[in-house]
Amino acid sequence: MSKKKDETIEYVKNGKRLDGRGLEELRPLKIEAGVLSRADGSCALEWGQNKVVAAVYGPREALPKHIQNPYKALVNFQYRMATFSVPDRKNPRPGRREMEISKISGEALEKAIFLERFPNTTIDVFVEILDSNAGTRVAALAAASVALADAGIPMRDMVSAVGVGKAGGEVILDLNKDEEDAPDAVDIPLAILPRTEEIVLLQMDGLLRPEEWKKAIALGIKGCKQVYGVQKEALRKKYLEAEKEEAEPNTEAAAHGEGE
Amino acid sequence: MKKRIVIPGELVSEERKKVGPHVFVENGKIYSDSLGLIYNDSQDASVVALHGKYVPQRDDLIIGVVVQETFGGYIVDINSFYFSFVSKEFIRDRLQRGSIISAKIMSVNEINEAELGQVRFFFGGEIINISPVKVPRVIGKNASMMEALKLGTGANIMVGRNGRIWAKGGNTQLLAEAIKKIEAESHLSNLTNKIEAFLKEKNKGVKEGDLFEQEKR
Amino acid sequence: MEKVNEMAADIVLDLRADKVVESVKQGKRLDGRKFDEYRKITIKHNISENADGSARVTLGETDVIAGVKIVPGDPFPDSPKEGSISVGIEFLPLASPLFETGPPGSEETELARVVDRGIRESKCIDFGELCIEEGKKVWVAYIDMYTMNDDGNLFDASSIAALAALTQARIPKLEIEGDSYKIVKGEYAKKLGLARKPLLCTTTKIAGHLVNDACFAEEKAMEARFSVATTEDGYMSAYQKGGSGSFTAKEIDECIDLAFAKAKEIRKLL
Repeated sequence: MSKKKDETIEYVKNGKRLDGRGLEELRPLKIEAGVLSRADGSCALEWGQNKVVAAVYGPREALPKHIQNPYKALVNFQYRMATFSVPDRKNPRPGRREMEISKISGEALEKAIFLERFPNTTIDVFVEILDSNAGTRVAALAAASVALADAGIPMRDMVSAVGVGKAGGEVILDLNKDEEDAPDAVDIPLAILPRTEEIVLLQMDGLLRPEEWKKAIALGIKGCKQVYGVQKEALRKKYLEAEKEEAEPNTEAAAHGEGE
Repeated sequence: MKKRIVIPGELVSEERKKVGPHVFVENGKIYSDSLGLIYNDSQDASVVALHGKYVPQRDDLIIGVVVQETFGGYIVDINSFYFSFVSKEFIRDRLQRGSIISAKIMSVNEINEAELGQVRFFFGGEIINISPVKVPRVIGKNASMMEALKLGTGANIMVGRNGRIWAKGGNTQLLAEAIKKIEAESHLSNLTNKIEAFLKEKNKGVKEGDLFEQEKR
Repeated sequence: MEKVNEMAADIVLDLRADKVVESVKQGKRLDGRKFDEYRKITIKHNISENADGSARVTLGETDVIAGVKIVPGDPFPDSPKEGSISVGIEFLPLASPLFETGPPGSEETELARVVDRGIRESKCIDFGELCIEEGKKVWVAYIDMYTMNDDGNLFDASSIAALAALTQARIPKLEIEGDSYKIVKGEYAKKLGLARKPLLCTTTKIAGHLVNDACFAEEKAMEARFSVATTEDGYMSAYQKGGSGSFTAKEIDECIDLAFAKAKEIRKLL
């Protein structure tokens, strides 16, 4: 896990990356919804080595009263890293990086949520990073979106997120830590509303040319849609039994059918 | 009665249809705003949400708990975004913190605050919580589920739209278990039969009428 | 958050607490457990690769994560040859509608200090072995815990999580060049020695009865609690009485007996 600033490393060789992935391949992504009993909605997400837990509380009355907005709900996103989630022990106090990520991630979710239906309230989204290896903010956002749906908060769409960027001269999807440490590394966290492809979070650091950006955004959107697929399955999983059962004609069910 | 699971932002219908709850229209198409179920045979485009908070609606019957007494009335927790206020003018009983009441929502303002009326006070009993979106399942078609629950547990039951169930007498422990089961399996059909069977199984060895004995105690 | 919100979260729990008392008086618990029965315990090791040791523990629906980081630090002037430990817990707001973000409150501080004493005083970690260079550098083992879901008895859940993380903990490999001490990432010198396994066991008093492993509603109903850290070789390394009620000396003896018996069972799971 040491920093690889070595120019001689081949980040991409015969279309394969250091960890054996293809250029457009995500690390293994696993999502589970509804994992915490006390939260209104929750989600556990594992993405490569990244491990994330998200919880949603609300909408609940925003307090103190002076922060209330009479026209819409507030989104209070808190991204936090556990002290042991990074190679060097992290100071337990939230730092500037965490504050910035929290702010832009909350704003990314605002576009998706029907905030105007819940004036004067706050929707609290807490995300804790338990283990990390590059791309935790997009992991946090993907988990938060599933937790919001699990809380039954009305939304225009999910928010799907992925990291895209460049290492070893190639545009690649979902960079890991080694790739983020490449001498020419470019890291682009991206989040979209998958249905309309509206971009709700976008950052970049590194040196990038416009033609590389064009490639990166196309790849990023493709990646987000893959993430969306996993999010969707996670939410449906609990209820899939119902669909299977309904697929087979069940005379008894018809006779005792209950309406809502 | 075929049903399908949808997640927020998923297409419900491309046809023009009457729009029901938990959907929205964008560019002429109808999308779901929640994780929920759509029934294909339904006349309108609507989604039955599987999760969600209670948003007060006019004419809802709710179960509230008194949080605090003030000079003119009581502050009542209705399991929503805000507390409601009930004036002492409308209640003959003396309430205190923890008193359980039922009430009807008379009106709701633009920020979802609810005005209560037709307040009734319960003597004793306890509260069982359920996700508010699953309340219709506890009632069942023509109150069939309610009947099954009352019969199977011997409890007096009152179901509030706000996800609170008041129960007194009988086997409330068994009632709580049955309600947990309804909550977990609310998306499956044939639920009333399943719950009836569950209660019957649990009541094995209990003589008819014994349940009601407990109630008198 | 202001008082009003707390009242809201509390009111239904208050009603529930009344039921707990009523039920315990009749010799029963609401969830059907025996008075001394623990909820199901699960322990998952190595939940974080970046940690030098980590574990996630569930006690019924209570859920706590612990991670250990062992880093070079300065020795205390009065013990130049000894390393040390530091225990912290954060009640994350994702674990309960009643928790809020902010600096550690009195409950968090109490819990962390009790778990700390249980480990430290049991001498299960040889601080002398954590010396790198006398008077200059020693190892400090940071045990950081986070709540994921609070359904009562965070004390015992945290204690199990801390110990489970310690059993896995490894001391990193160190590169020393003059005055600079650098950890070699991802490489380890040895396992952290653990001479014994101290575990905390908390007994609550509800309606005059002694009840173990109180869930959230039972904690609301309790008069007092008493926690004892015990080791497998018959020592006790920490006591803590909390809550506004009281215990008789006889009750304390009972709590101690329970603590030894319960810790013995839990230790098998580690």
